[in-house]
Amino acid sequence: MPLIAKVGRTHFKTKSLIVIAALFLWIGVFLHLFPVWWMFTTSLKSTREVFEFPPTLWPRSPSLKAYGLFFSVFASSLKGEAAAGKISLVYPVYIYFKNSFIITGVTMLIQIPMVAIAAYSISKLITAKWNRILFLFFIGTMMIPMQISFIPNYLILRHFPFPTKIPRLPISHKPFPTYNFLNSYWAVILPSMYSAFSFILFKGFFDTIPDELINAARLDGASELGILRRIVLPLSKPILAVVAYFTFNSSWNNFIWPLIVLKERKVWPLSLILYHFQQQLFAQPPTEMDPETEKLIRAGISFSGLMAISIIQSIPVFIMFIIFREYLMTGIKLRGFK
Amino acid sequence: MPKKETKGGKYRGRIGALLITPAFITQFIFGWFPIGVAFIVAFQKFYLFKNVYVGFDNFLYFLQNNPMTIITFRNTLYYTGLSLALTFLVPILVAIFLMEMRKGVIRAMMILWFIPVASMAGIIIWKWFYDVQYGLFNGILKSLSLPTLRWLDDPRIAMLCMVLPGLIMYGPGLIYIASLQGIPDELYEAAELEGAGFWRKIWSITLPRLRPIIAMWLILSIIIWFQVFDFPYIMTGGGPVYATRSVVIYMYDLAFGSFHYGKGTALSIMLFLVIMVLVVIQRKYFKENIDV
Repeated sequence: MPLIAKVGRTHFKTKSLIVIAALFLWIGVFLHLFPVWWMFTTSLKSTREVFEFPPTLWPRSPSLKAYGLFFSVFASSLKGEAAAGKISLVYPVYIYFKNSFIITGVTMLIQIPMVAIAAYSISKLITAKWNRILFLFFIGTMMIPMQISFIPNYLILRHFPFPTKIPRLPISHKPFPTYNFLNSYWAVILPSMYSAFSFILFKGFFDTIPDELINAARLDGASELGILRRIVLPLSKPILAVVAYFTFNSSWNNFIWPLIVLKERKVWPLSLILYHFQQQLFAQPPTEMDPETEKLIRAGISFSGLMAISIIQSIPVFIMFIIFREYLMTGIKLRGFK
Repeated sequence: MPKKETKGGKYRGRIGALLITPAFITQFIFGWFPIGVAFIVAFQKFYLFKNVYVGFDNFLYFLQNNPMTIITFRNTLYYTGLSLALTFLVPILVAIFLMEMRKGVIRAMMILWFIPVASMAGIIIWKWFYDVQYGLFNGILKSLSLPTLRWLDDPRIAMLCMVLPGLIMYGPGLIYIASLQGIPDELYEAAELEGAGFWRKIWSITLPRLRPIIAMWLILSIIIWFQVFDFPYIMTGGGPVYATRSVVIYMYDLAFGSFHYGKGTALSIMLFLVIMVLVVIQRKYFKENIDV
């Protein structure tokens, strides 16, 4: 419902108001798209062109050389000199992409069904006195800043399941066997398997499904799990899309937690290698730059390489947006946030 | 009306208990258990092979004559305030303006606006824009023969530079659009009949109606902003001269840079307490109820 009265739209004053509003919005859209454009064109430029001013809007001789980093640490054209030493990426980018993909994929595959059935259960099945307490149990952690559990979670994952003191076995007095999850995908996946935010979204949606619908199915003799599968699941497509989108984004973009628990390059997600790579490029003063990065720059893929990896990191986010676009734009109407 | 425990209800309860079990276990182990552990670790000092209880020493470390505590908390508060001013109010305005456009325009704008960029990529490109030597902004200033700025390297404006990308990179207003559409048209029509103008309608109808969602997002945002880490850590690493060092960066350095787990946890608990105080104040003075 527009706020400006329909009848008055031709008046100069209201008309100019609309024009100003439109201008304001289009400037916003431009500001949002400009960095994306910049990222994309830079990834196609040569090093010399990257540092030119005024910047060229479209590269003079676009080249996909920087994207070669995806398949090998050495872009095809720099075999000779750069091949002599390792570069700061160490592995080709597809390794990091694969890590990001596994971490995000497994998190989504576990989190979405697990949280959905729990929220459904709290919303429709458990009606006894436990309901309220369980609800608080499931969402209470959202109100507590997550950095409070960073260090404890790190300690727990280091010698699972004991955070500080490891008890001894009764007879042999050997320490209790523990498992070290650090430097593995599970170190990132385990703490993010459950999400209170997803729970709230699901619960808010299931609350809007009328009880009568479910009771009617019960009278028809459907089993509880049958109802969940045949009636509730088809209804919940929009909310599944919204949760999937949020889960994907938070997992794909996660930075601080992988930074804490993953020290080995071979399990790094894209966000970590991007961080590391840009630290090298922005090193102040440049003399602190490691020799490998310097070689890479001389070989012609410095910022173009960085931007290429940025684009590679952004593509899945964009694909997810395209897939869930309809649901995100209309489905937000779900009263998930209340 | 309390429901009577019927046979069916009991059976349903059992299925329900079964369905919540996986989530319950996960939430317990990685949700609540670490929070409990935090309150133990915060009172301990870690040595190579054992941990010793040291009472309130870890807390006193921050409270007694530690300038870094003041610096980091002040920075975090400053960041939250700036974010509140910039990234909280503008999206509301954007959402309201967006509703004025034609349907097709709304769609096009929303699609363009929500084209997302992975967060690390977004932060890096802004860092580059701000770069003193090769950045776009200084390039523009130079070509206009204006004095260049040091942007992120200038302690006075570094924080402001850091908040700005958040406003532009993240599609604003998504949350509000849904609530805006939920406002019944009759309210506006009635207001129109009484001669209310554009701003008047926003002030008297739209904003009060958005109140619940604003209140909810305000709480969540404060919690999130107070934990700011990514932006300053990536863009400036906490510099220049600690001007953008946030509490969580301080905590990260203590715990994972120099392995003071006890001190780090104590700091995170202090941050938690500060946030809780703010949330309580916010809840007290910012009622969620529409008809206040």
